[in-house]
Amino acid sequence: MSKEPYHFFQADFHKLLSSIDQNLLKDVLRQMFLIRNFEQRGEAAYQQGKVGGFYHSYAGQEAIQTACIAACGRDHWYTTTYRCHALALLLGASPNAMMAELYGRSTGIAKGLGGSMHMYADRMLGGLAIVGGHIPIASGAAFTIKYLKQKGLVSLCFLGEGASVQGAFHESLNLAALWNLPLICVIENNQWGMGTAASRAVCVKPIAEHFAKAYGIKSYTFDGLDFFNCYAGFKDALNECIRTSRPILIEAVTERFRGHSISDPGLYRSKEALKETMEKDPLFRLKSVLLEEEILTEEECAAMDKEARDIMIAAMKFADESPWPDPITLEEGVFAPQEKI
Amino acid sequence: MGTQIVEIREALRQAMDEEMARDSRIFIIGEEVAEYNGAYKVTKGMLAKWGPERIIDTPISENGFAGLAIGAAQTGLLPIVEFMSWNFSFVAADQLISNACKAYYMSGGRYSVPIVFRGPNGAAAQVSCQHSHCVESIYGNLPGFIVISPSNSYDAKGLLKSAIRANNPVIFLENELDYGEKMEIPTEEFLVPIGKAKVIKEGRHVTLVSYCRMLKFCREASDILAKKGISVEIIDLRTIKPLDIATVASSVRKTHRCVLVEEGHIFSGISAEVGFQIQQHCFDDLDAPLVRVCQRETPMPYSKVLEKETIPNTDRILAALTEVLR
Repeated sequence: MSKEPYHFFQADFHKLLSSIDQNLLKDVLRQMFLIRNFEQRGEAAYQQGKVGGFYHSYAGQEAIQTACIAACGRDHWYTTTYRCHALALLLGASPNAMMAELYGRSTGIAKGLGGSMHMYADRMLGGLAIVGGHIPIASGAAFTIKYLKQKGLVSLCFLGEGASVQGAFHESLNLAALWNLPLICVIENNQWGMGTAASRAVCVKPIAEHFAKAYGIKSYTFDGLDFFNCYAGFKDALNECIRTSRPILIEAVTERFRGHSISDPGLYRSKEALKETMEKDPLFRLKSVLLEEEILTEEECAAMDKEARDIMIAAMKFADESPWPDPITLEEGVFAPQEKI
Repeated sequence: MGTQIVEIREALRQAMDEEMARDSRIFIIGEEVAEYNGAYKVTKGMLAKWGPERIIDTPISENGFAGLAIGAAQTGLLPIVEFMSWNFSFVAADQLISNACKAYYMSGGRYSVPIVFRGPNGAAAQVSCQHSHCVESIYGNLPGFIVISPSNSYDAKGLLKSAIRANNPVIFLENELDYGEKMEIPTEEFLVPIGKAKVIKEGRHVTLVSYCRMLKFCREASDILAKKGISVEIIDLRTIKPLDIATVASSVRKTHRCVLVEEGHIFSGISAEVGFQIQQHCFDDLDAPLVRVCQRETPMPYSKVLEKETIPNTDRILAALTEVLR
């Protein structure tokens, strides 16, 4: 394996802190609590037998997508993997509709047809569940932006380090670089492709810094556990992508807290290693900063957490009380109505 | 009303050209479609007319550009993807199978995929097994796809225009050997509706169901039998999915006998599906078991002697007709 040190994006923390609106920081922490609580409640519902299929938790990775939306806004096109709950929440999907989707109810975000791996929002193309297969879709959104000359917009695509060795990823990078598409690919390196360590799957480290060179595009490496590093990095990357009309490759180094999916006990990781990982909790890190800077008090943080928990408990109730899809509708919606022309 | 004599390739080009004039969201993307003017010249002259923003050459990267086009369709554009051969769509199979035909349903109706995938399907002349496969039964097995396979210039033009206007993914199957087939068609604009089969020759004694290039052999077999006083009714399916079983069943109820001809392989083929639906709808009307004439169960051999043997031909169709008429 070709291995070099990471070159993390450099941002002056204190300058950054003073430049970010305090309300934004409070909102960001609130969103991270929402994500964390959604995943906790979703997994609990799964254990109760209310949720079927696969369940991939975003716990531990919250800083990355939260920072991305805070820095870039909700107007761009977004695409992600099956680990999709956080992004949908951040892009405005309602916790009720998302929980109902997990429960397979007709009130779900995809009417109970998609499930845990297929969450959507207004500018979110999925929730797509074939590893790497979603990247060409994101490149298509970037193509549309260029075709329609929509200045200031980009297509952001999240993928795991496991997807970074799929052909679809490399074909997409080549096309995007060849055609100057405004595509930002964000590799969330959570260290594990199911039970396979990144070092056993990807021939280079750092990933983005290496692969970007091959496609003649700019790369970034973020500390994926640090909201501030991600926030500043995404701001810079977005400006760069818009300014140059060139694709960008980002690696956000993180580590997931849970197994690959809910059915993965994570036996490949020692208890000590997991404990060490969880001590780097990005939510806790952001909270500590806001406490230290006296932007929030301990009580306000606790209230935020409780509010998020209450929202998710209410969402579970909503989902539980929602009607199942009527079997008579089973074959509806395979084809879109002819309203395009 | 004016008419013009055009080859199938020209009919296809006219369809795309007319639709591109109607809607600026339509673009063509594929290998050699622009500067090379199309591997089979279907897109000849289109780069000069529409420019590189709408006639787009790609690298040999089917998974990448097919998926890109699907993403473009989901975000507001109307792509026409040319596969140089449908056999190359296998490299992009994940994009077609996991995204194109499923995105609308799995998103609960949020993202439709108005896209046309088109190109030559099946065997050409001795291009061997990796360039000769018929894909209709593969993609026909997937809910969400419309599958079309025209046999002449009129249908090629009218159906491609309908396909481009469809709000769903369309698998549009052409034939390399038939691109040069000529036919007189109107100069005025016309559409052919999706999902309608056509009785292309009326007959009384037996129904022959096929589509695309195989109809040529069906006609030859029919002509030979006509000299013996046997009247064959020939149906061109035109659209494979959704299947116009009503037109097929009406014919079978009249003739009471049916042969199904398909260039692709026999196992799980289109004729297996059509045949099954015939027995569902016409069980009491049938006077003989259905017979299928399909490609034999081997990868396509190179040698022309063997290639001719494995693809349905006039002799095999005649033998099948004779069998059901016995």
